[in-house]
Amino acid sequence: MRLNPLTIRKLRRFREIKRGYYSFLILTVLTLLSLCAELLINDKPLLISYQGELMFPTYSSVKLGHEFGLEGDAANIPVNYRALAERFSAEADGNSIIMPPVPYNPYENTEVEGIFRAAPPDLAKKHYLGTDTTGRDILARLFYGFRTAILFAIAFTVLTYLIGIALGCMMGYFGGLFDLLFQRIIEIWSNIPFLYMVIIVFSVIPATFSIPVRITILLVIMVLFSWTFMTYYMRTETYREKARDYALAARVLGASTSRIIFRHILPNTISTIVTFIPFTVVAAITAITALDFLGWGLPPPTPSIGELLKQGTANLTTAPWIVTSAFVALVVILTLVTFIGEAIREAFDPKKFTIYR
Amino acid sequence: MKIAYRPLLAAVVIALAGCGQDSGPAEKSAEPAPDITAEMQEHYRTKVSLPPEIWEALEKGQITQEEVDARAAAGEFPRFFRFATPADIPGDLDWEDGSDLPDFGSPEAKKGGTFYTWIQDFPRTLRRFGPDANGGFRPFILDDVVMQLGRRHPNDTSITETGFRYFPGIAREWALDKENATVYVRIDPEARFSDGEPITADDMLFMFFLYQSPHIRAPWYNNWYNRKYTSITKYDELTFSITQPEVRPDLLFKVMELEPLPEHFYRELGEDYVERYQWRFVPTSGAYEVRPENLKKGQSITLTRVKDWWAKDKKFWRNRYNFDRLHFTVIRDIPKAFESFRKGELDRFGGTLPEYWYEKMPDGAEEVQKGYVHKSVFYNDRPRPTYGLWINEARPLLDNRDVRVGIQHATNWDLVIEKYFRGDYQRMRTNSDGYGEFTHPTLQPRGYSVDKALEHFAKAGFVNRGADGILVNEAGERLSFTLTTGYQNFRDVLTILAEEAAKAGLEYRLEILDQTASWKKVQEKKHDIAFTAFAVSAEMYPRYWDFGHSVNAYDRAFLPDGSPNPDRKLKTQTNNLQSLAYPELDAMIEAYRASSDAEEMKELAFKMEEFLYEDASFVPGFVIPFYRVLHWRWFRFPDEFDVKLSRGPDQYFLSWIDTEMKKETLEARKSGKTFPPVIRDYDQYRTN
Repeated sequence: MRLNPLTIRKLRRFREIKRGYYSFLILTVLTLLSLCAELLINDKPLLISYQGELMFPTYSSVKLGHEFGLEGDAANIPVNYRALAERFSAEADGNSIIMPPVPYNPYENTEVEGIFRAAPPDLAKKHYLGTDTTGRDILARLFYGFRTAILFAIAFTVLTYLIGIALGCMMGYFGGLFDLLFQRIIEIWSNIPFLYMVIIVFSVIPATFSIPVRITILLVIMVLFSWTFMTYYMRTETYREKARDYALAARVLGASTSRIIFRHILPNTISTIVTFIPFTVVAAITAITALDFLGWGLPPPTPSIGELLKQGTANLTTAPWIVTSAFVALVVILTLVTFIGEAIREAFDPKKFTIYR
Repeated sequence: MKIAYRPLLAAVVIALAGCGQDSGPAEKSAEPAPDITAEMQEHYRTKVSLPPEIWEALEKGQITQEEVDARAAAGEFPRFFRFATPADIPGDLDWEDGSDLPDFGSPEAKKGGTFYTWIQDFPRTLRRFGPDANGGFRPFILDDVVMQLGRRHPNDTSITETGFRYFPGIAREWALDKENATVYVRIDPEARFSDGEPITADDMLFMFFLYQSPHIRAPWYNNWYNRKYTSITKYDELTFSITQPEVRPDLLFKVMELEPLPEHFYRELGEDYVERYQWRFVPTSGAYEVRPENLKKGQSITLTRVKDWWAKDKKFWRNRYNFDRLHFTVIRDIPKAFESFRKGELDRFGGTLPEYWYEKMPDGAEEVQKGYVHKSVFYNDRPRPTYGLWINEARPLLDNRDVRVGIQHATNWDLVIEKYFRGDYQRMRTNSDGYGEFTHPTLQPRGYSVDKALEHFAKAGFVNRGADGILVNEAGERLSFTLTTGYQNFRDVLTILAEEAAKAGLEYRLEILDQTASWKKVQEKKHDIAFTAFAVSAEMYPRYWDFGHSVNAYDRAFLPDGSPNPDRKLKTQTNNLQSLAYPELDAMIEAYRASSDAEEMKELAFKMEEFLYEDASFVPGFVIPFYRVLHWRWFRFPDEFDVKLSRGPDQYFLSWIDTEMKKETLEARKSGKTFPPVIRDYDQYRTN
C-alpha cells in the first residue's frame, strides 16, 4: 500500500507517543487474544492423548464420558475434563490432558464445600480472580465479557461512522434544501431518548432469539440512535473543504461528485474522524456495560462486565473481589482506549508543539 | 425480601413502580360528586342469581346474555338480595362463637413504639380492588389488618363438622345450616369502622353490591361474587345470612372470610371510581389506618393504630397490633435496605434467602455475636406456593409424554436445593403440598437421572447429540425449549438448571422478564415452560378446576363425541398453564367440585394427583418450610411464637417493639457492652 508521506509522518508521530502506542499494542493483543479465548479459558482441554490417539476438543463437538472409558453416571454426560485429567494422572496409563491456563468456562458453577457461593481468588484451583456468587469463574466471565464488549464497540464504531460520514458529507457537499431537510430530521431524531428505546425494544423481542441475534439487535438500535453526532462534524468539515481551491479545481477538471468527496475531501477530514474514534469506542463500551448493569442488556447467563459490576455492588462487603475485578478491568480498558485517543489526537494535530490541556 | 416470605401471587402479579401524580383527596373536582344510592337500591331490587348450569351454558356459548336477561325479567330466577324479619331466622340453629379456642397473643407484649421497615415500591393506590390494587402493600391495609367476619384459628387447624375453626372478628356469632348451604351471622354490636361508623348488615349487602358492580373494574371480583353466592338476606341491622349455590365442606370458609365494606364511604362510587378513590384510605375494621398526612408519595408511608380501636381488648385480638406506628420507607435496592438494617435504621430484615442468612449476616457476624441482632427461624405448615416448571402441553414436542418425563428427569432441583439453597429448602412433592389430609401422602417427584432422561428422550425420537451436546431427532429438531420466568431473584437457579439439563442433552433457553411481562406471556399461553408459582391462601382443599379442567385450556376442547376438537383454540387468561385437556381428568374434577363429602374429595384429589404425576407436565420445584428473620434485639416475638398458618412474621401482628430495650441496645453499641447471642428455631410446627 502506498501511503501518503503525511500519513506516514503522522503514524511515526503516533509511535513516538509511547503511552498511547503501548496502550494500543496492549489493547490489540488483548483483543486478538480474546478472539481465541476458547483456547485460553475453557473447560475443554487443548490436547488429549488417549490410548495413543491425539484429540483437540476445543472446537469439535461434545464428547461423552464413555468415549474415554467412563462408566456409570458419567458415561452418558459430556465429559468433565478436569476430573478426567485427574483420573488420567492418577492412573498413569500414558493418557494425558493439557488444560487451558484457566480450566473453566464462564457458565459453569463450581462449588466450595458443597455450596455454590462466591469464593476469593484461589491459585491452587486456578480461580485467579475468585468466583462470583454462584461459583462461576470471574476471570472467565470478565474475559468473555470483554470480548463481547470490544467486538461490539468496534462494530458500533464502524457502523456509526459509515452512516455519519456518508450523510454528513452529503449534507455538507450538496448543501441547500437537502442540508436543511436532513438537519431538521437529525434534530428530531437525536431527541428520541435512546435508553428508553433500548428498554422498549428489548422488552418485546422474544428470548427465542439466540444471543448473537440479540446482541445484533442491540447494536442496530444503538447505531440507529448514535450516528447523528458524526454528521455535525462531517458537515462542517465538508462545507469548509468544498470551498477550498483544490476541490474547485477538481470540479473544473471534470471530476465526478463521488470522486471529489472520496478522493479529495474525505482524506482531508481524516483527522477529525480519527480523533473521535476512541471516544466512540469508550461510549460503546460504557453503554453496553451500563445496560447490563441495569439489567437491560445481554440476556443471562451471558458473561458481561456490567453484570459482574452489579453482582459486585450487591455484595460489596461479603465478596469484594467481584467488584474489584470488574471495576479494575473496566477502568483499565477505558484508560487504554483514552490513552490511545490522546495519542491519535496529538499525532494528527498539524501543530506539533501545541499541547491540549 | 418480598419474594422470600411473601411469595408473589401469580394470579395477582405485583408490578409496582413509582407513584403517579398527586391527585389526592385534597383535589376535589368542581362537579358535584356522584351518588350511588339510587343505583344501589335498584340493584338490590332487581339483582337475581343464576343457577350454576346457566352460568356454564353462558360460558360455553349455548345461550346468550340477552336470553338470560329476558328470562330474569320474567322472574324465572330468584332474587339475590332479600329482606326478612328476625322472626324468619330458623329457631333450631346451632350458634357458635369460637370462644373455646385458645387465645394466641402474648400477655408480655408491650404497646407502643414505631416499627421501622421498608418496601421496595411505593403502593400504586390505596384502593382495595380495581387496577393496581393487588400490590405488595395490600397485606398491610387489607389482608392482615382487617378483621373479617371471623378468622381461621392459625394454630388449631383441625377440621370439624362445620369446617375450619374460626374465632370471631366482626361477627359475634354464626350458625351453619348445611342442608341449605346457608350461613347465619350476627355482627358484634360494638363493631365500628375506623371513622367511628358502626358496622351493620347493610355494609354486608353493600359489599355484594360493590363487588358485583362494573364500576370497580375488577372482573375477578365481579365473577366470584356473582357465581359463588346465591343470596344474602338481611334480618335486622346486625343479622344476615348468606347462601351458596352448592353444599361444600367449606361453606363457612366462604362466608367468614368476608369483610363488610363501609357503605357511607363509597357513596361517591361511579364511573370514575379508579381515580376518585385512588388515594383514599378505606375506613377499616382493623387496628391500623393510613392518615393522609402519613402518605409521602414515593418516599414513605406510615400506618398508625386506630385510636380506641373497638376490638383492642377482645379475646384473640388483644396483645396483637402492638406497634403504635409502622413506618415503611421505600428502598428500591435490596442490598441497600440490608445496609440500612445493619445500621439500625430498620428493625427487621427478611433472612429467608441463604445469601443473607449465611453470607451477609452469618451466625458469626459481629452484631449477632454481640447479641444486638437476633436470628429467628419460624417453621410453618400451610399450603405451599407452587414453585416449579409448568410445561405447556400445547406446544410442539411438549405434547409428547416421553419428552415431558425426560424433562422431569433432566431437571436437577435436588442439586439446586442442596448447593444453592444449602439444603434448607425442600423438594416439592406435588403442586398441592401443605393441604394436610388433602395432600397426597406418598407421591414423590421424579429425581434427576441423565440415564432415565436419555431413555425417555430416545423413546420420543431424540437419540443423537448434536455438536453442542444437545439432542437432535431425525427431522433435525433440537431438544430445546424456552424457560420463561418473571422472578429476577431466581435467575441463578435457572442457570444451574440449564447447565444440568444440558448434560442430559436438553437445552433450556432462559427468558428472564419482569413480572408483568412474564405473567402476560404465560396468561396468553405463549410459553413453552414457565417457572412461576401460584400463591395459595390457607384453603381447605386444593383447586383443580382452575389448573386442570379442559374448559380452562381450550375453547371447546372436545367434540360432542368426546374426541379432541381439531379446531380448538387455546384459551387465554386462565390458570391452566399446562394446557391440560383430558376427559378423564375433567370427570374427576367435576365430581370433586360437586362433592360435599370430604372423604370422597380426598380420594378424588389423590387420584387426580396420580393422574397428573403420570402426565408429567409439572416439574415440582421447592417448598420453603419456614421463614427466617434477622431482627434487632428490641424487636420482640412472643416466647412461644410460631404461628402454624403464618406466611410471614407480620401476618398476625404478634410482635412488639420494646422501646426501653432499644435505648439500652443503642447505648450498648456505643459503649461496647454485649448481650448473649440469640439464634433461635421456633420449630413446633416443623413438618420434616
